[in-house]
Amino acid sequence: MSFDTIIELEDLARHYEMGGVAIRALDGIDLQFGRGEYVSIVGPSGSGKTTLFNMIGGLDRPTRGRVYIDGVDISKLDAYELAWLRCRKIGYIFQTFNLIQVLTALENVALPTIFAGVHRDEGLAKAEKLLASVGLGDRLHHRPMELSAGQQQRVAIARAMANDPAIILADEPTGNLDLNTGMEIIDLLHGLNRTRGMTLIAATHDLAMIKASDRIVWLRDGKIEKIERS
Amino acid sequence: MLGYSYIKRRMDRAAINMASIALSVSFLSTLMLTDAFYRAYAQAGGSRLSVETYQYWLVFVALAVSIVGITNAMLIAVYERYREIGTMKCIGAFDRHILLLFLVESFIEGAVGGVVGFFVGLFAALLSTGFTTGFDIVLRVPAAELLGFFAGSSLLSMILSVAATLYPAYRAARLTPVEALSYEL
Repeated sequence: MSFDTIIELEDLARHYEMGGVAIRALDGIDLQFGRGEYVSIVGPSGSGKTTLFNMIGGLDRPTRGRVYIDGVDISKLDAYELAWLRCRKIGYIFQTFNLIQVLTALENVALPTIFAGVHRDEGLAKAEKLLASVGLGDRLHHRPMELSAGQQQRVAIARAMANDPAIILADEPTGNLDLNTGMEIIDLLHGLNRTRGMTLIAATHDLAMIKASDRIVWLRDGKIEKIERS
Repeated sequence: MLGYSYIKRRMDRAAINMASIALSVSFLSTLMLTDAFYRAYAQAGGSRLSVETYQYWLVFVALAVSIVGITNAMLIAVYERYREIGTMKCIGAFDRHILLLFLVESFIEGAVGGVVGFFVGLFAALLSTGFTTGFDIVLRVPAAELLGFFAGSSLLSMILSVAATLYPAYRAARLTPVEALSYEL
């Protein structure tokens, strides 16, 4: 399969100092992601996966190199524009779900639409549809504590899709789930990637996740070790 | 929506904030009302009594203490929610959303604290003057004056509460998402 490029990384590097020691979290990454592609990022902990995600998500600025999203160099954007980018173009899924505990499932999913300036009722209606599409139509008014881990991750997936982003960044989305629940989450993500054409980039150790992807990027010590197509 | 949910779910801290502002506002309104009652009493032919000036200084100190207390409580609330703030920024919150979140919360707390404080103050002022002036003194003070005190103390309470939260809210809003997300409590 071939895709047009949505994200392009050019000689991307991020160095920082920790206790006087220089750490090269990323050290010259050249990589492209296609629109609608499903890419797994694999590597031992400390290999730079999370840093790479922070770069693509506009959460952190590179020491060297460029990140282009839809042809725009995001290192040139100011904090406000980066927030806009995260709000509209990127959906984030965390290993630890990171739902807002004081809000119900419905409110959690509607939250990004509020940030995007969508009218409240419209946002809630959309959140309801999204929750139904991840199989939680009957759990709208439960709080995160009242949901199982798998259900919480489903809420988080629905939240990530709230503003119809072009890119979903998933940092070890199955890392805190048991095998079966993890499989369901993988199927869900894969299905969304296929039906909605969202670019899915997932950091993972999970073999089942790796198998489902179009391409696998192996990272080690901040560099690309190898790229495999499946 | 969020500010209200936070108050509802984390009632303990909200209650302390509201109590702190209510106490200092009640102190203020006690003095103002006592003064008003004395004036009404004098007008009705009773002896002239008055509130000492130094008591207003005490009110000023009480208000200052409650501001410091609210600022402190809100700073703790910011630390407590580092991860949530990081998450929200990750999923697209602008700085102003985070700022508003905390300001709305303190605005509501200030409003509740102000109203409660006024009535506590009214009660206290009646208790302290009633035995000399008679408890019906409250009816002899013009209603417009009472309403004015009520509006004034509620407004003051909201302004003080929001002002006390400006710095914590600003700090929360300026957090970078990476910083906030990697923070372990």
